[in-house]
Amino acid sequence: MTPNSPIKLVSELLDLPLLDVDGKYCGIVDDVELQGGAGKDLELKALQVGPGAYRGRVPSWLMSLVKAFAGERIVNVPMNKVRNIGAVVHLDCPAAELGLDRSEAAAGKWLPRRGAL
Amino acid sequence: MNPLELTLGIMTAVGGFVDISELVFAAKAGSQFGYALIWVFAFSTIGIIVFSEMSGRVALAAQQPVFNLMRHRLGLKLGLVTLAASIIANLITCAAELGGVALILNYLTGAAYVAMAITMTVVFIASIWVLPFKWIERIYGLLGLFMIVFAVSLVAIHPPWDKIAGGLIPQVPPGLSTKELLTFAYFTVAIVSAVMFPYEVYFYSSGGIEEGWSAKDLLTNRITAIVGMGLGSLLAIAILANSAQLFGHAGVDPEIPGSAALEAAIPFGKWGLVIALFGMFFAVAGAAVETCLANAYSIAQFFGWIWGRHKKPWEAPRFTITWIVLFVAALAIVLTGVDVMMLVEFAILFSILVLPFTYLPLLLLAGDKQYMGQYANGPVAKTLGWLYFAVITLAALAALPLFLLTSGGNG
Repeated sequence: MTPNSPIKLVSELLDLPLLDVDGKYCGIVDDVELQGGAGKDLELKALQVGPGAYRGRVPSWLMSLVKAFAGERIVNVPMNKVRNIGAVVHLDCPAAELGLDRSEAAAGKWLPRRGAL
Repeated sequence: MNPLELTLGIMTAVGGFVDISELVFAAKAGSQFGYALIWVFAFSTIGIIVFSEMSGRVALAAQQPVFNLMRHRLGLKLGLVTLAASIIANLITCAAELGGVALILNYLTGAAYVAMAITMTVVFIASIWVLPFKWIERIYGLLGLFMIVFAVSLVAIHPPWDKIAGGLIPQVPPGLSTKELLTFAYFTVAIVSAVMFPYEVYFYSSGGIEEGWSAKDLLTNRITAIVGMGLGSLLAIAILANSAQLFGHAGVDPEIPGSAALEAAIPFGKWGLVIALFGMFFAVAGAAVETCLANAYSIAQFFGWIWGRHKKPWEAPRFTITWIVLFVAALAIVLTGVDVMMLVEFAILFSILVLPFTYLPLLLLAGDKQYMGQYANGPVAKTLGWLYFAVITLAALAALPLFLLTSGGNG
């Protein structure tokens, strides 16, 4: 499947892992943004990544927990940055270009960079 | 094929089969019911071989481990429930293994249990930080093979081999009272759970990716699953049979891991005991590492983080922080002073409740030609997979009532 192929079921895309151009995991498709309207074709505009995109997919009490622990950040991944979609979604650019590496980078500041073989 | 490639299966199996819960349940099963529960080990072993092979095949065909794809199959809500349940089950299991390692060190050195639990947590964290994945599996997997002393002990005590072979036939011992029948049923369910612990497939499939398996490793995956799990099963059956022969007639109830070590001491004296404790130490330590990493793999894969110990720890920061926090959480549970055997019982119970949620998406994934192409389940894997899924679902439904009715198998 390519980004321009007709997407019959958006559910086929939800919850797939994202890999950036360097093969690094950089999130999960937590939701999708659609564009179009009455009488027009419905098109996929972007993939949404981040705990904020859980809203509408989980009960409100659970969303409150998610918000307390992980925040509400959402990163939009435009469809023109998607190379192909299979068992995972392959991106055409590094995670950093879309801001998908921020949480890993923040966590990395807590770890020493030595001692591993 | 390099024999060292089998270490993933050996670590998974030694850590999965002869961990703290198996040491206790196999020994207790032998002492209470003789050889009558051997068939449950054999039956469950085929199940874990089927699902391990399947999870390895998914990993090498889709190049994705089980939990990465599980969320896609189950959806976010059910996926979150499965994740939460497996985190709790694995964390309790990890705490039980950590407590078990501290107990074994206490037997070996006489040092205080709490001090050993703290020391071992530091050792585990340091070893995973320093060692690459291949060395983690080689050290804990291969040194756990000292457990072979239990199989050698069994040969040395000249057991009734015909009765052991007879134990392979599905049976319920005749003449049991209702209470004993319920306990027998609980042991059956607990052994299925202990042999098919969900963390084994999470660890195994993630380990396949850590080792860089690709489609050409199909045979390696199959052999690793069969040899590794088969070996683990033989060791567990040896512990059960030793216990039936040595403890059953004497009316000994081997409630603590140290009792199982005596099985090697009886034929081989002090050195048998030391080798058995040494093997138990590495097998249970391997299980602690396995459960902790399996939990970290699940969390990282569910949320799409960078993961794996084939990377330097700081190259997968959220994954690294997760396994460190999980070890500290397991230590915190141990430091509350809760009895290790109680942890074992809860670990077994939680794990069996999670089993159907773990294996259903795996079955669906492995049979999906869109993901798997030519590597999708064939008729044998499909039939065995669904048969075992039905069995573990029944076991999961029966687990809680049996646990309550038998006070965790204690009558």
